[in-house]
Amino acid sequence: MFKETKSKIALMLLVLFTFGTVLSAQKITGLKIIENVYNRPSSVDQTADLTMSLINSRGDKRVREIKQFLKDSDGMEKKIMFFVAPADVYNTSFMNWSYDKAGKNDDQWIYLPALKRVKRISSDSKSDYFIGYDFTYDDLGDRQPSADTHKLLREEEIDGEMCYVVESTSKEDEYMYSKTISWIVKDKWIGKKKEFYDEDDELLKILTVKESVITKDFIVITLSVMQNIQSGHKTIMKLGNVKVDTGIADNKFTERMMKRGM
Amino acid sequence: MEKLLNKLLRFPKIMMLVLLVISVAFFMVMKQNSRMETDLDEYMPQDHSAFVYSDKMEEVFDIKAGIIIAIENEDNIYHTETLQKIKDLTKALGKMEEIDKSAVTSLYTADNIIGTEDGMDIKAFYKSVPKTAENLSELQNKVRSNEMVFGRLVSEDETVSIIIAEIEDDVFTQEFYNEILTLVKSFEGKEKLYVAGSPIVEGTMALLGPKDMKKMVPIVLLVILIVLLFVMKSIKNTFFTLLVVVFSVVWAFGLMAAFKIPIYAVSTMIPVMLIAIGVADGIHLYSHLDLFLQKNPNATKKEAVNDMIKGMWKPVVMTSVTTSVGFFSLLTSEVYPIKYFGLFTAFGVSAAMLFSLLLIPAAILVFGFTKRKPVSDKNIKNKIPFAYKFANGVIKYKTITLFLTIALVSVSLFGITKVWINSSFLDKFEKNSDIVLTDRFINDHFGGTSMLNVILEADEKGKMKSPEVLSLMSEMQQTIDSKLVVVGNTFSLSDYLKRMNKVMHEDKEEFDIIPDTQELIAQYLLLYEMSGDPDNLWKVVDYNYKIANITIQLKSDNSKAINSAIAEVENFRDDFQKLGVKINFAGSGYKALVFTDLILEGQIKSLVMSLFIIIILLSFMFKNFRAGLIGSVPIVTTAVIGFGVMGLLNIPLSTTTALISSIAIGIGIDYAVHFIERYKIYAKTTGDKQKTMEGTMHHSGRAIIFNAIVVIAGFMVLLFSVFPPNRSLGALVSLNMFTSFLGTVTIMYLLLYKTNLFFGKK
Repeated sequence: MFKETKSKIALMLLVLFTFGTVLSAQKITGLKIIENVYNRPSSVDQTADLTMSLINSRGDKRVREIKQFLKDSDGMEKKIMFFVAPADVYNTSFMNWSYDKAGKNDDQWIYLPALKRVKRISSDSKSDYFIGYDFTYDDLGDRQPSADTHKLLREEEIDGEMCYVVESTSKEDEYMYSKTISWIVKDKWIGKKKEFYDEDDELLKILTVKESVITKDFIVITLSVMQNIQSGHKTIMKLGNVKVDTGIADNKFTERMMKRGM
Repeated sequence: MEKLLNKLLRFPKIMMLVLLVISVAFFMVMKQNSRMETDLDEYMPQDHSAFVYSDKMEEVFDIKAGIIIAIENEDNIYHTETLQKIKDLTKALGKMEEIDKSAVTSLYTADNIIGTEDGMDIKAFYKSVPKTAENLSELQNKVRSNEMVFGRLVSEDETVSIIIAEIEDDVFTQEFYNEILTLVKSFEGKEKLYVAGSPIVEGTMALLGPKDMKKMVPIVLLVILIVLLFVMKSIKNTFFTLLVVVFSVVWAFGLMAAFKIPIYAVSTMIPVMLIAIGVADGIHLYSHLDLFLQKNPNATKKEAVNDMIKGMWKPVVMTSVTTSVGFFSLLTSEVYPIKYFGLFTAFGVSAAMLFSLLLIPAAILVFGFTKRKPVSDKNIKNKIPFAYKFANGVIKYKTITLFLTIALVSVSLFGITKVWINSSFLDKFEKNSDIVLTDRFINDHFGGTSMLNVILEADEKGKMKSPEVLSLMSEMQQTIDSKLVVVGNTFSLSDYLKRMNKVMHEDKEEFDIIPDTQELIAQYLLLYEMSGDPDNLWKVVDYNYKIANITIQLKSDNSKAINSAIAEVENFRDDFQKLGVKINFAGSGYKALVFTDLILEGQIKSLVMSLFIIIILLSFMFKNFRAGLIGSVPIVTTAVIGFGVMGLLNIPLSTTTALISSIAIGIGIDYAVHFIERYKIYAKTTGDKQKTMEGTMHHSGRAIIFNAIVVIAGFMVLLFSVFPPNRSLGALVSLNMFTSFLGTVTIMYLLLYKTNLFFGKK
């Protein structure tokens, strides 16, 4: 809805822009590339089985299985996750509402079946870790393009695909990353790889997109790896059973549903 | 042997030149290749099971030694400037090359998890420094209500906050320490800053000991030089006696450097041993020469040297071989620096033998001997009666001698029962040194600067999530905490769960307990992993929830303190066993404890072993088993009294003091051999017991007392060392010299007399 409108505008802009390029022979800007990614058409809702493999620097591995539901509605993205395995956390659920409006913090809830209570979690920023480790909420969620200044560094080929390499520097001082560098596949506007640099400008982690599928014209990333260079920890996120636009009701994303479980 | 020596001594100048060239070569190698080893882990036997286990656990839980920087604001730390300093210093430390950014913990980096009415709040205590009075007191309240921070990062009186920077074992250098001190100094102002922590203590110790030795050894040599001059009354004799010692030290360290073996803290004991042992040969040789010249004032250089070699080569070789064997026996030790110590001291002793037999005679042939004035003949004749008197006195008052010896040995044996081992590093420093005072300051305000890690290992994955195991863990922590004054704090997975349980129950105190189902525990942990910094969790439990690490903070790194904590933990061993959980220990403090035990064990093993070998060797040398037994008497009495005095004076055994028993062997054997050999010669030549006794006391007894005086005077210098272990060393070496001397001329002498040795046939 909202995003669709946005993407329509984006499309128009893109047309205009293409025109512009021809006319002035100017190159695409970093900001434009990131906006194109942010505004890439996506489905309204999505259901998937997420398998998360956590591997530490010594090679110990733990696997978590999660069933997740996502929906875009009224300027926010709602997400609910139910843990399937390991057994002792079965039906633990986690809900996140993130807002498109810049500066507005996410709302988060957790339901612990053993405690039989839904609890709100509030945290400073989105920079907290997501289910332990390498992904933070910001890495998963789309960060507002306006929060950073973007610079197109170069174009280069990865796995046979031409990519724009864009450096994004945070406008906030206290943000957890001093900068990120993204490899965006030309014309598809999908990230292929992203490097995260910490407050001291040292490489912290690398996100690599390994596989993606096209479902109902939407590109969905199904296999990605986040490697923390400093700690040696690695998270592999694998999406299976992806279904889009099945018309998930808004009331799926409520505290009541968290308690009810799968 | 005698022929060979005489052959070689036909070319005394060439002989001297060759020895000089080799010594210079060794010196060059030593100059170029010597390297100090300051990483204490390098000292430990890497394949010993306790170390292997501890190292593995240190890796699993990322247990590292921490440098502690304390910021004190006498008012309280909740001032904008103070909090700014904590933040800036945290960042500055993280930027240092030796420190991993994520390894710096402070109030600035800590997470505050608090319970709210409808849920849970995870926030940093502060990101941008609070400026208003309201924000400052809000921060104060947050800290007060978080028991995982209050008393740990901020002292309970709120005047001190600490920053902990964990470092790898091998990064400590004097430069790094200075860099930290400079950095910290730049933050001083209204706040006072302190630097402490085991890396600082251990690193400084590893550097300070040898550095102090380097400074003291030349002074020791100087004093020995002066005293030698005094007793030998000859510049030449003194010079060459000392040259033997210096060359043997150069050869030992040169060879060490040639093999690229670094200098360990215990290696500084090598010159100590060589000085104490090496001067003996020179003194005995020159003493023999003087006596010969007294009798034959007109003898030529050649004759004098011939007589000296004839009469002395045997005891010199015998003493050197037996002493070397004593040091070689240290090869049985599991600790490499000790092995090297034994090996290279043995080499140095052998080198000293070579110099004594070649350099000293060659020098006499080249430079001549010191002419004694005929007047001194009279003087000496007047003095002779003293040696004779003494010889006769010991015999006359044999019951008293015997009684005194037995009394001394008995008291010492009682003292030995009081000997304790101390692996403490801090105890090696001056009581009013900065390092000790800072450590005490931090111990007064926080849980403690020394750590003991208790490792719980379950038989299956996930067991550390069981409420039974966690409750027992918590119970054990509470017991240790309340029973032992020296324990300041304990920290484990159970603390996280109690905190989570409380937070999820609106911060109500009654929920500060371990949850009662595994599901709830697992869900709390999941929540923590999702919302907190999960890396913190992996310091207390492993990835599979199979192994847990309980950190016990101690206010002292003294072995008694660590052992008392271990004893309390042991009380829980059976209870944990029932739950399928095994207890082990890890961490640098524990390793130091095991390490010191190992050194001591090795030392005692080698002492006993070398004693047996020496008895056998002596028996062969004198072709008499009883002579072997009698010869070992000075060693045994010296060792017993040495350890006994340590026990009585409450001087603990440590890596350096344990090695002093080697000196008992090295010197005790020297005295015994020279004495018995001389006794044997006189017995043969005179056939008269009275004359033998008097002659031996006059000849060997004199040399022995000279030797003892010289070395004791030299080592007394160490009493002025700035490094307390070196002071104990000086005192103990002097004591050992004295008891060796006394044991030889009294009880051993008495035994020789009583057993009728070497007179048996007549």
